[in-house]
This record gives sequence, structure tokens and C-alpha cells, in this order.
Amino acid sequence: MPEKTPQSAATIDRSSLPIRRPTFAGTTGRTLEGSKPDWNQATHVAPPAGAPNVLLVLIDDAGFGNPSTFGGPINTPNYTRLAENGLRYNRFHVTALCSPTRAALMTGRNHHRVGFGMVGEFSGPFPGYNATIPRDCAPFPRILQENGYLTGGFGKWHLTPDNQQGFSGPFDRWPTRLGFDYFWGFLGGEAGQYDPLIAENNKIIGVPEAKDGEKYYFQDDLADKTIDWLHRIRSEKQKTPWFAYVATGCSHAPHHVPREWSDKYSGKFDKGWDVMREETFARQKALGVVPADAQLPPRNDAFPEWDTLDETHKRLYARQMEVYAGYSENADWNIGRIIEAIDQMGELDNTVVIWIWGDNGASMEGTLTGTFNELTTLNGIPLTPEQQIGLVFKHGGLEAWGDDQLAPHYSAGWAWAGNAPFDWGKQVASHLGGTRNPMVVHWPDGIKDAGAIRSHYTHVNDVGATVLDLAGIPMPDSIDGIKQQPFDGSTFADSLSDASAPERHTQQYYEILGNRGMYKDGWLLTQRLQRIPWDLDPDKLRAFGPGWNPDDEPIELYYLPDDFVQGKDVAADHPDKVKELSELFWAEAEANNVLPLLGGLTSFFGMVPPIPKESKFVFRGDIQNIPSGMIPRIYNHSYTISADLVIPEGGAEGVIVAEADHLGGFSLFVQDGKLKHTYSMLGVLEYTQASETPLPTGEVSVEMIFAADAPKPATGGEVTLLVNGEPVASGRMEHTVPGRFSGYSGMDIGRDNGLVVDRSYADKAPFAFTGEIKHVTFDVAPGLSDEDAKALHEHAEQALAAHSASA
Amino acid sequence: MSKTEQMEVLIAVYLFEDLGKKDYEAVMDLVEADEIHVQGVVLATKDDEGEMKVIEAGDHAVRKGATMLGGAGLVVGLFAPPLLAATAVGAGVGAMAGKFAKHRLESGIADKLDTELPNGSAALIAIYDSGDADKVKGAIPNSIRSSTAEVDGKHAKELKAGLEEASAGLSG
Repeated sequence: MPEKTPQSAATIDRSSLPIRRPTFAGTTGRTLEGSKPDWNQATHVAPPAGAPNVLLVLIDDAGFGNPSTFGGPINTPNYTRLAENGLRYNRFHVTALCSPTRAALMTGRNHHRVGFGMVGEFSGPFPGYNATIPRDCAPFPRILQENGYLTGGFGKWHLTPDNQQGFSGPFDRWPTRLGFDYFWGFLGGEAGQYDPLIAENNKIIGVPEAKDGEKYYFQDDLADKTIDWLHRIRSEKQKTPWFAYVATGCSHAPHHVPREWSDKYSGKFDKGWDVMREETFARQKALGVVPADAQLPPRNDAFPEWDTLDETHKRLYARQMEVYAGYSENADWNIGRIIEAIDQMGELDNTVVIWIWGDNGASMEGTLTGTFNELTTLNGIPLTPEQQIGLVFKHGGLEAWGDDQLAPHYSAGWAWAGNAPFDWGKQVASHLGGTRNPMVVHWPDGIKDAGAIRSHYTHVNDVGATVLDLAGIPMPDSIDGIKQQPFDGSTFADSLSDASAPERHTQQYYEILGNRGMYKDGWLLTQRLQRIPWDLDPDKLRAFGPGWNPDDEPIELYYLPDDFVQGKDVAADHPDKVKELSELFWAEAEANNVLPLLGGLTSFFGMVPPIPKESKFVFRGDIQNIPSGMIPRIYNHSYTISADLVIPEGGAEGVIVAEADHLGGFSLFVQDGKLKHTYSMLGVLEYTQASETPLPTGEVSVEMIFAADAPKPATGGEVTLLVNGEPVASGRMEHTVPGRFSGYSGMDIGRDNGLVVDRSYADKAPFAFTGEIKHVTFDVAPGLSDEDAKALHEHAEQALAAHSASA
Repeated sequence: MSKTEQMEVLIAVYLFEDLGKKDYEAVMDLVEADEIHVQGVVLATKDDEGEMKVIEAGDHAVRKGATMLGGAGLVVGLFAPPLLAATAVGAGVGAMAGKFAKHRLESGIADKLDTELPNGSAALIAIYDSGDADKVKGAIPNSIRSSTAEVDGKHAKELKAGLEEASAGLSG
């Protein structure tokens, strides 16, 4: 532990933040003569002496059995190097969903307590689900910052409400208002690794461009930006402790990685997920991260047996895992670059590295087949295995898996095996496959039994308390005059130096989307909803609406000290323990804003927010990179896009307005002088309409009218293009996108940033418009009745919730 | 053995080149065993570098006395003479290889295949007696998608229409 002394002779009261400037201890005369200075008046608060640097790393959508460091098949040499010189924690837990884990990580509180029973995309109507961190639960980086730490956040954030990620804010739930001096990354739940939409501090700065003929790659840039920040702060402040939070986009879909990484695994997964699970388990036991006497639970019939698959599917699925593995190894390599930079700075010994491999177990949201475009699943587009394979074929074949032509997610079978030895995975808070992830802590100055394994029960909400403990910083009573709620998590700092340190975190509830658990003193009571986690069909979810009795769900009980893998249900033998933990769960649920259960899916049960009144959206000037969750709501009904242009003599070309890319999006553009409209229904269907004659020169008004067959989800309809009020082209679109074009790609006026919608102009990307655009106007409610508007609004909210559940 | 005059044209696509070859050989085994009557079978493959190759067996390789298109073979007629000159159309699996010279192809289906086959994939085209349809389809288990169309005439234009119909079905 560092010495807990104040920064100066003056006693610093750290219980109330921001720390007030100390009372002037000098004297002032009429002139300098006789005046006595007090330099504490002119210095910034410093952390306690000896406070270490902290690097906190979080990998996304990965399982306990993924990294080789914990016995998995994915080569993670940097993670292993830190583990061998630090500690492996093999009973570390997360919440089973993305934003909730991040909220608990950042705030040190339970996820519902801070409004994150669901994800940032869904800001619901109950305190536990509003996706808004309350001011009386300030994140621990804010506490570090106010105590003098330099703080930087890099990568995935996912704690800003979906509709607050634009230029107009509000910004109080952006990283820089929650404790980070500097932030660079993306605000949402996912990003294409080749074309992410980047936020820097309080601004969306756009899609990075490739350099030197190489494709841009986010993970490489993430490491570069982190290292650059470290170098910059050290060039100015040579000693001040820093805190860096690095959250990779990997291993979340889309699974993007250059081929040289995925090809390392060529043929490695040909034996399938059943064998991978068994081999992983054997290695885990050999490493000691799983007890030697543990038995691998029987296979889960929700996932097909590998040997029953035909050759085409086996090869397709094997390639899916090769890409995922290469993607994950690349993340390890890039984090390794950051570690190396810290080492070169001479600061690794006094840097506490906390590296968590996964925020919710591996994701099963690719469905059983995997998908060429994860947005098809998130939009509820039912695709048969044959259609999925056909669409892989259409979009470049297996060679494109991992490239920017697809937005892929692997089969749920790989996720299940990647969570070995545990069952289920992401979203399933009742099972360790969704809640137990690897954690490595590296700190040469503080860890004396390097290479050891710690089996203390630890939870993601413990990290904040632990970091403050290591830094010698107390939990403040108030911040900005607001009394703070205590941490729910407990420090495990003493376990770093003492293997026999007491286990402080003895009780923890779990709940995500109705799946729940209650842990206490080694016992774990669970209730899993009887539904497949990747199926968010409204009809099936209605079974959990009014009239549903959560206590009717099957109850299981495990005693984890004797049953590491959660494989032996002993509920029938311990009715009193079942009753005790069941009652405890409901008490905890009430105390932590968990209620109402399924509060994150209210829209499926008829509870929707007020219908937005705005129906016209006018864009003027150079507007780019509108976040995908903030574009005009053109889904499922008629709408128009109109624009007033000035076409110079000689004509013009380029994009008038475009949203997202060829795997879901639309573009109204001028090519070869002709007005064109391309609409990609998530890469499943594409439609293009084009005028036969070039646009006239001078002032020209153009319009795209989509006349829906009916206001209903994924409606078909007729498209008409008009120039100066005269129809010039028409066509039919049989199906349209019901929920959302993209999880990350934004809308641009006058260009098509990132991957383009219509690949015919890809070689000219971003295909900026060469004429003048006076304005682009969306009318999203032409002729829409109030009744239809209400029905569509309900659908839109359901789609958003479904998307959110998988984000 | 079917003796119907009604023909069926099939287009099947494969995510993997070698699995296309496997099914092609299975179809040709049926031909050799005189289990089915074909007017021709073509396998188009595209390797990992994007190079297209065509393996083709014409009708007189497998059915003596075929009269359609004067014995030149319906499938053979799909491809340009320079390409076919090298085609081995003897017994068994006739084979040839060469660059897919788009400008020399006489059929729209060839252009379509060249455009739509991703690297590492394959497509099989077969024209056979309608009565053999079940046997042919049973021989192509590795196909990820297939489409068929009836061809009831004896001329190239009927075949082309059938191919267009089948390829349209493939896209749907």
C-alpha cells in the first residue's frame, strides 16, 4: 500500500470533491514587503504520495475459455506474460451484459442502481433502466481526477444514452463529464473496426481515413492513441499518477480483422466447438484455473452437435472462429504494445494493470448459424441457415469473413464453447457463462507471489473500491455538493499481496433481462427464463408480460465452492437455502432498482415513450456523421427526402445524403449526371432507382418519395424520384429496414463517409457532392394517421429494445 | 431410366470450390452409370485468387445420338468455341481449364457466374431429362443454393430462357 499522506503540509480533506483550495496560510501586506506566500494557493491537488498508475483494460464479448491464459484456444501471449508476473483471478464476475458491466465497473455500484439494467441504447422509464448514471453515484475515475490523477479513456464507452451522442449533447453523460480528462473512442455499443465513428472529448470527429494505402484499423489506432496520451502527459508532468481505461471494440461484432491474423488459425477449429470445449477444459485444469476435480458439464442441447453438421456448415463455422480468434489475438497484441510503452517509460513496476477479458461472457447473438450481418439479427430479420450462407456467398464468400464487406458474428456454438467450462453466455445472468470472466492483475511493486491464482469471489463493481484503496484515496462523502451513495463493491486490494486475505464480497445479486441469480457465501440461486437468449420475438416475450410470475421459473441452486463449474443443481436438497436466497433476491432487487423485472423491455409490453412531435428535419451546411441512433426515423412508413441543389455548368456528381453502408443504408446521389437512389435492406436486398436523363444545371430541386404499402414493420412500397417536381424514375422496394440500419455508422450530407452504400462509387469515396447543396429535408410523417403513428412508434421502441438487448 | 423429352436446367452454387467438384463428380458418376441422361454438365470454379476455370462434359460424352442442337450439346453451346476447343468431351468426366474469357462467352449465364461467384466458390450447371431430376438433386448435397427451370424446346433460345429463369430463381 502506498503511504497515505497528504500532498503538502496542509491537511487535505478529500471527503468532499472537488477539493477546496486550502485556506491561505500566508500573510498579505499592502505591498510585498511583509507578505508571506503560500504556494498551496497556486498548486493543483495531488494524489497521495506513492499512488500508483492504473491501467484498466476491458475486452468485449469474450468468454472465460477464450484466452490461452485461461486455457482457451486463442493465443494471448501478452495476457499470459502479465498473468505469469502477476495474478490470475478465476472467480471474477460481471453482469452478463455490456453497458451494465461497464456501469458497474465505472461507478463501483450495482448496475441497476446507476440506471443500467439495460444498455445505453435504451433509456427506459424506470430508475434501474434509464441509462443515466445518477449524480450521487459518481464514477471512480471522477474521484481519481478530483484527487489529482491524470485520467484518459480510450475505446468503447457505451454509457451515453443513444439519443445524446450528437453535437447538441447534452454532454453530462459523456466520458469527459464523468471523470476523464481526455477521451478518444466510440460512444455506442459497437464499431466497425475499419470504419468506426470516433468521438474525441465532446465531439464526434468522424470516420478515420486510411493512410499509406493501408486500411484503417481501429484496434491499432486505439493502442496508438493510448500510447500517445501517455507520452504527452509525461512530457509535461513527469510524476503525476495516471489512470488509463482502455476498452477494446474487440471481440464484439462485427468481427473484423486483417487476414494475416485470422489465417494464423487456419484449420485450428476444424474439429468443432464440442472438441474445442473439451480441449479447453483439459488445459484449464492443467493450468489450475479450474479445479482438478471439476467435471465438464454435459453439453447443452440448444447448440447443435458438431458431428451432425454438413461439410459446408462445418467449414463456414470453422472460418467464423478463425476470424474471431485472430481478432482477439490482435487485441492482445495491441494491449501488449501499450504495456510495452509503459515499460519503456520505466513505469510498469508501479502501474497496476487490471485486465478483464470479457464483459458478459462470449456473445451468442449470431444465432446458431452465425450471420454475415449482425444487424439482421438485431432487426429481427428471420434468415434461414441456407439464406445466411447464400448471403455470405453473395457478399464475397468465406474470404470476406473478417473483411469490411461483411459485418459478421460467429455461431452461438462458438460462444458457448468459448465460455467453457460454464454454460450459456451473454445475457444469461443466471449462469456463469454470462457472468464469470478472466481477470489478471499485474503490479510488480505490490504483488509478491507472481504467477499465483486467486480464487476470491470478486465482481466488476469491486474494481473502483480497489483502485481507490491502492491509491490511498478515500471514498468521498459528496461530489459537487451531492451526497454520494456508497460503493456496492468491496476492495480486494489486500488480496494482491496476501493470498489469505479475507473474501470481502460475500453477496451479490444478478439480473439481466429477467435471468437472475442470488449469490451468498458460496451459494448461488438461479432462475433462467425459458427462452433462447438471442430470440427477441415480441410474441414470445409477451409470455413475460402482465400475468407472468417470475417465481414460476425453474429454480436451481449451486454450492460453488464444491462446484466450480455450476454443474450440480442441489435445490431439491436444500429447500431452506432456496427460500432464504429467493427472499434475499427480492430484497436486493427492491434495494437496487431492479424492479420491475424486464423493465428494460417495457416497449414489448405496451409501455412506450411519448411519440416524438417533430416530423421534419432540415439539414443545412456541412453536416456529417450524425450518429446512427439520431437520424430521422424513416422506418416502416412513408417518407420523403428532398434537396435543393445548384448544379454548375458541366454538371455535378456525388452524394446528396447517405446513411451507413452497403450492409444497411440509403444513399441519394448523382452519378453520371443522373439522380439515383440506392437502398440496402441490410445487405439482404438492394434496390436502386435512377433517372434516365442528366440533371439540368442551375437551381434544381430533387426529391425521393417512398410511398409505403402500409405503415407496418419492414413495409414495402414504391419509390419515385422527382426532379423539379417531375417524376424521373420509379421502382419498388419489397422490404425495408424495420429497426436500424447500423449499430455505428452515421449519416452524412453531401458525402458518404466510411464504407459506402452503393459500391459503384466506392472508388470515389466519400464521393463528395461537387455542386452546392442548399438543404436536405426529411419529412418522416407524410399522411401518417395518429393511430398508425402510435402503432409504428410502439414497433420502433420494440426494435430499439431488441437491438439494445444485443448491443 | 427416364426417356422424357422434357429437359430441366439446374444451376447450383457452392461456397467451397472443392465441394462443387465433389458434387460434379457425383453427377458424372450417375452419367457414367447411365442412371441419368444429360445434355451437358458444367462446373465453373473460382479459386482463391479469383481465377475462373470451367470443367465441362458435353452431351455426346454421355449420350450417343443426342439430337438437340445438332449434337453440339446444349451446355457446350453456352461457351465460346475458343474455350471449348480444349474441352475434353470424351467418356467420363470431361475436363478443361482455362481463363474465363468473358468477352468470348455467348451466354449471359457465364457473365453472371463470373460476376457473382466469390473467390473460392463454384457453380454447377446441368441439363438433363426432367425425369432424372430427383437423382440429380440427390447427387448435389453440398450445394448451398440451387434453382431449376423447365426447358421444353430443342433450341438454344429455349435453353437460354431456361437458364435465365433458373438464374433468376437463384438470386431470389
